[in-house]
Amino acid sequence: MIWPVAVALAVAALSGLLVVLSRDPKRQVFALAANGLVLAVVFFLLRAPDVALSEIAVGSAITPFLFLVTLSAIAMNRTRS
Amino acid sequence: MNGRWRLALLALAALLLAPLIWSVASALPPFGAPEAAYGPAVNALLPGARNVSNMVAAVNFDVRGIDTLGEESMLLCAVVGAVVLLRGRRGEDRGDRAGRVPGRPIVERDDATILACRIAALLVLLFGAYVALHGTVTPGGGFQGGAIAASGLLLVYPGEDYSCWRALVPGTVLTVIEGAGALIFVLAAALPLAGGHAALANILPLGTWKDLYSGGVMVVVNFAVALAVVGGFGLLLIEFMEETRAPEEDPVPDEEDR
Repeated sequence: MIWPVAVALAVAALSGLLVVLSRDPKRQVFALAANGLVLAVVFFLLRAPDVALSEIAVGSAITPFLFLVTLSAIAMNRTRS
Repeated sequence: MNGRWRLALLALAALLLAPLIWSVASALPPFGAPEAAYGPAVNALLPGARNVSNMVAAVNFDVRGIDTLGEESMLLCAVVGAVVLLRGRRGEDRGDRAGRVPGRPIVERDDATILACRIAALLVLLFGAYVALHGTVTPGGGFQGGAIAASGLLLVYPGEDYSCWRALVPGTVLTVIEGAGALIFVLAAALPLAGGHAALANILPLGTWKDLYSGGVMVVVNFAVALAVVGGFGLLLIEFMEETRAPEEDPVPDEEDR
């Protein structure tokens, strides 16, 4: 029981580090989505499947989408003004 | 301050903090071992008291229902705030095509993409409805189901084009759904007061254990939360998308010039 959790936590730390270390905002968004999926696995292994479900929907679908839209809105506005 | 100084400061801080962190960490109880008394008490009492098999829903919608009412109104306020802020002078009218970043090539949608998105969007919407409806039976509930359904609404976009997405995901309907969800929750909390019960008292028949209808008023509250969440998230998606619509129809804001 403890080993899968340990591995998942290590992967979560690694993917979290990727979010921080990637300098391109767009890549950062996708790293954030991947980190959300890993966190969902962690929650599932810690026997919280309901939290895992909301993490997948919110953390790796809706939040990254809002960030992507914001990035493209910024890009459009920058060229317009 | 240059990089070397920063590193030196970081090393100094780590050196000073390390023994403190270590002493706290080694005094912690072992991983996964402690169990607060609340969890076992809930597990032992609530299946009999409320006929539900999802204890998280029982705590969220019944035992601590008033807390969830607060959270729900917080969600409503956040969504209303975001919508007001983003809509600004754009108003409620909508564009019929998406904007584009100049210099970025427009890639034609592949037929396979369209097919995959249509199938996946329907499945995700269905799964969201399933998770929301079975809130008192299996893990999940109104919030999870609503969020999953909202991501299904999002999946409709890559399969269709912008105007079709805007037609398929109507903002007015989402507004009504969001408001109805919040209203149902408030009514579920306030109506028992009229009959002399406590707020959010479980006055409905409790139903059968592990049945789709189980938990009495929890079914109503769970449904209300699902409505509010799918409406709120859907509205957010629309308002954010409208931020990127074709610039011709969106006059350049001149606040900076004034």
